[in-house]
Amino acid sequence: MQEATVERIPIAAGSERKKRIWRNKWLYVMIAPGILYFLIFKYIPMFGLVIAFQDFKPFFGFTGSEWVGFKHFTRLFTEPDFLNILSNTLILFGMNLLFYFPVPIILALMLNEVRINFFKRLFQSLVYLPHFLSWVIIVSISFVMLTMDGGIINELIVLLGFEKVNFLLSNEWFRPVYIIQVIWREAGWGTIIYLAAIASVDPQLYEAARMDGASRMRQVWHITLPAIRSVIIVLLILKIGDVLELGFEHVYLLLNSMNRDVAEIIDTYVYTAGVRQGQFSYSTAIGFFKSLVGLVLVMFANYLAKKMGEEGVY
Amino acid sequence: MKRKPAVVLLSTLVALTMVLSACGGNSNKGTNATSTPNSSTSTNGNNDNSSETPAKPTEITIMLPLNVAETPPDTIKNEVEKLTNTKLTYQFFPADTYEEKLNASFATGSLPQVVYLKNQATFMQMKEAIRDGQFWEIGPYLEEFPNLNKLKPEILNNTKVDGKLYSLYIGRPLARQGIIYRKDWADNLGLEAPKTVDDLYEMIEKFTKADPDGNNVDDTIGLADRNDLVYGAFKTVASWFGTPTNWGEKDGQLLPEFMFEEYVQAMDYIKKIRDNGLMNVDFAGTSKTDQVALFTSGKAGVYIGSMQDINSLDKDLVKNVPDANASVHALVEGPGGNVSTWAIPGYNNVVLFPKTAIKDEAELKSVLAYFDAMMTPEVANMMYWGIEGVHYTVEDGKAKASDDKELTEREVKGFRDSVIGEPETNGQLEAYIDLEARKLAEQFVVDNEKVAIHDPTAALDSATFAEKGTQLQELINDATYKYMYGSIDRAGFDAAIEDWKSRGGQQIIDEFNAAK
Amino acid sequence: MIEDRTLNGRIFATVNYLLLSIIALLTVLPFMHVVAGSFTTSAELAVKRFILIPTEWSFEAYRFIFSTNTIFKAMGVSVGVTFFGTLFSMLITSLMAYGLARRDLDGRKYIMFLVVFTMLFSGGLIPSFLVVKEMGLIDSYLALIIPSTISAFNLIILKNFFQNIPEGLEESAKIDGCNDFGILFRIVLPLSMPAIATLSLFYAVTYWNTYLSAILYLNDSAKWPIQVLLRQIVVLASGLEYSPDLDASVPPPEQTVKMAVIVVATLPILCVYPFLQKHFAKGAMLGSIKG
Repeated sequence: MQEATVERIPIAAGSERKKRIWRNKWLYVMIAPGILYFLIFKYIPMFGLVIAFQDFKPFFGFTGSEWVGFKHFTRLFTEPDFLNILSNTLILFGMNLLFYFPVPIILALMLNEVRINFFKRLFQSLVYLPHFLSWVIIVSISFVMLTMDGGIINELIVLLGFEKVNFLLSNEWFRPVYIIQVIWREAGWGTIIYLAAIASVDPQLYEAARMDGASRMRQVWHITLPAIRSVIIVLLILKIGDVLELGFEHVYLLLNSMNRDVAEIIDTYVYTAGVRQGQFSYSTAIGFFKSLVGLVLVMFANYLAKKMGEEGVY
Repeated sequence: MKRKPAVVLLSTLVALTMVLSACGGNSNKGTNATSTPNSSTSTNGNNDNSSETPAKPTEITIMLPLNVAETPPDTIKNEVEKLTNTKLTYQFFPADTYEEKLNASFATGSLPQVVYLKNQATFMQMKEAIRDGQFWEIGPYLEEFPNLNKLKPEILNNTKVDGKLYSLYIGRPLARQGIIYRKDWADNLGLEAPKTVDDLYEMIEKFTKADPDGNNVDDTIGLADRNDLVYGAFKTVASWFGTPTNWGEKDGQLLPEFMFEEYVQAMDYIKKIRDNGLMNVDFAGTSKTDQVALFTSGKAGVYIGSMQDINSLDKDLVKNVPDANASVHALVEGPGGNVSTWAIPGYNNVVLFPKTAIKDEAELKSVLAYFDAMMTPEVANMMYWGIEGVHYTVEDGKAKASDDKELTEREVKGFRDSVIGEPETNGQLEAYIDLEARKLAEQFVVDNEKVAIHDPTAALDSATFAEKGTQLQELINDATYKYMYGSIDRAGFDAAIEDWKSRGGQQIIDEFNAAK
Repeated sequence: MIEDRTLNGRIFATVNYLLLSIIALLTVLPFMHVVAGSFTTSAELAVKRFILIPTEWSFEAYRFIFSTNTIFKAMGVSVGVTFFGTLFSMLITSLMAYGLARRDLDGRKYIMFLVVFTMLFSGGLIPSFLVVKEMGLIDSYLALIIPSTISAFNLIILKNFFQNIPEGLEESAKIDGCNDFGILFRIVLPLSMPAIATLSLFYAVTYWNTYLSAILYLNDSAKWPIQVLLRQIVVLASGLEYSPDLDASVPPPEQTVKMAVIVVATLPILCVYPFLQKHFAKGAMLGSIKG
């Protein structure tokens, strides 16, 4: 609503706009340090992206290296495994969106229904613990539990009379193991932001609803969810922008020769083909491609959100 | 109340931007000033040095990877400074992100006077920069330094770039690999140390099936291996079968190891062990930590890898199984009585001298003089063993580490991997060993060298290999594991080789053969 | 609080408590393994692989890591950087988020787009290093703070929270003679405590986890924060950086030491949450001001 007024104004007199800018001068002062930060630490270094179009040699610098146009992009797109790697990446991304993204929301809503304060606090302090364990640790604990060489879970499966399951070295199990680990590590941490959003809800709304005899479920549906809807949408758009950030370290630790067909993603490919070989330009070109995909998706998601009457992220 | 810090911080930010713009104006000055405080001071020190006051210590800044938990304190450094009349700044950076630091420093001209690389792979990556003249060629100066001149020519040769020497090397025994096995289990079952690969198979089989620990429970496996085809079991076994080291010559042409029949035989061998459940079936995903745990917990009986791991393996094994007893073996005969083993090129790391930090010949010589001094017994022992009487004592002409292992670990070990040369050339003391098995291991290391097969491409270059060698090797590694796991057959493996060739492998073959 | 007394409501509540308890248990078990692993002997850890309660208690790992002052120094650095960094970041982020949350700010759409753009594109390590170097921040603790002052993610979230505050409040404050700074610090911030607490936590955790900037920008290892030590020990003990060409007489750190250093390095940041937690129940404030 308010947005609409702003949109209309520039069409009106320019003097009105100048007046408004002058009236808001303190706002510009407030955002100035932040803008300066982004310019210096984000936009100035962006000239580094030019090396995607060069054969960059550290000792020649950004100006001295040879320009090669789209050579590195051509190499990436003609790589025989390119489509496979891209689809692996997108599938993992889709799984993240589908299986991980809703979990913190559901957890936050469940927790909001807890009336025993002690339980609530205890739960909150426990579920965000895993976020502080690095992937190295999580993957190695998982290995110990999942291995067919005496892992607890496989022992249990045998005890129940089933065949051992090849969790670690098979194409079938890579994705489930990956997503379960992601949920395990991040879900509790992810609830914090929704809890904050829920905490900002005016309690009077709940009281009014209770007076009207609204059930728990109805309160969740009509008060809590709408209150956190804008946070959900913003996080969703940002998550979509993160499309190709699937946690390099995590995937790399799970990756082995027996599951590479499904586990090789863009990030791990960059590592073997680019970073480990000191191929700066190739690595940057791949990163550039990834960013472009992310940008397109974010713009699309943001457009959709606005279409649906939401604020979006910009 | 809340606004006050805001003002302070805001003004800080404004001030900082002014710093930025100020720096932008005279970027030359900025570059020099920040490269490291020492690069400018060192030049001064050097000037003084070359004129009339030789007593003034040379200032040297050195960058090197940190392979221990924390940066060592100055204890050893101070002693070395006294011995060499230098003022040293050792900058350690964690090994696992060392390349990032190296590249960032390199690209921004901030390398110090002395740069240790991380391993042979980083050396490969640096070759282009070396060719471009970014580092001092030190070959011509070596003969001026009596100790540096002792460095082994054949290893120096392996580190040359286009026939010129730019680096000093950190020497390593050529071939430390062998078997570490449960001697007590072998004795229980009446087995000798395996003479041939067939004996080894028998040992692995009996360790699995014949209840070697005598507890009447089927709870043991023969071999514990890990997700590493080189430093795990595979390469060592393959070399016993007669596979060349990395590359070999067939019909006058250099070809990669996996195009040799012996490589396939070795795959079949491991495959048979795995198929029969004689090893950890998940080895393709097993880390070194988990592999070691299999052995030290008393579950597995054979470990193939560096024999010098015996110390730590034995120590932890005995904690868990007090009457256990581990020993080592090597020189295992392949089919047809062939005895051979693979070898590294005799060094594990090199030191380079960037031209951006070392301004002139005189300065280079003063830095080389430090390394010359490092190759005297006093300095080499100081950096490798520590202070005599504190970190070690001399017994039978050998260095016996003190009982306070923690002290040595903290103060000395960080420097160990930076000592150039090897005991034969730098006069450093041999280790006094009290563990019998380790003595045996050292003997096998010497014997291994006699039958070691050298990599014929060690001193050769291939542009394609430098560009995509690692990526292509991944194809072969995958195919090797898949073959051993039975998910592809021989035809599938051959197809992987064809794939390797078509993606650039053939070029690598051609380039190495052209460089030969 | 009025509990839902219906049968459905009770069933719902019971299932809810049960599920949450199971989830809590599942998340806690591996963490218990880490803690238990730090209090046992390396021998027990090697045999059992997964332990929840040690049978052989040992404080050896802690004695080892506390036997020098490195860990204390590193911890001090981390605490300092986290404290001042979070404060500074929250200040700059709040200012910017508030400005951008105001719908009458000309150009906010473009600025927001440029902010989002930085989440997708980055110039990489070397150009960033150059900027930090040119600013003369090498070997300064400021290099751990200033280059990561604002997280675009946090900024967008905070802006979103600010936007949800009814504009009527700001209007009335303006009429009372508050300027924009006054509105932000007297009205908007106090009303957004849950968001402020959350984002402070996010920043604090980011600063606590600082690793790569420390390695890149600080040559003096005495200035390194705790994560460098933590990661170095974890990487070495996990055999990730294992290179058999290194001197074999340098065994990797014990597994128990790895566990202990994780515990020690995580504990301080875990303590932050309970302090912030109370703000998550402050939704009531909005109502009181309104009334």
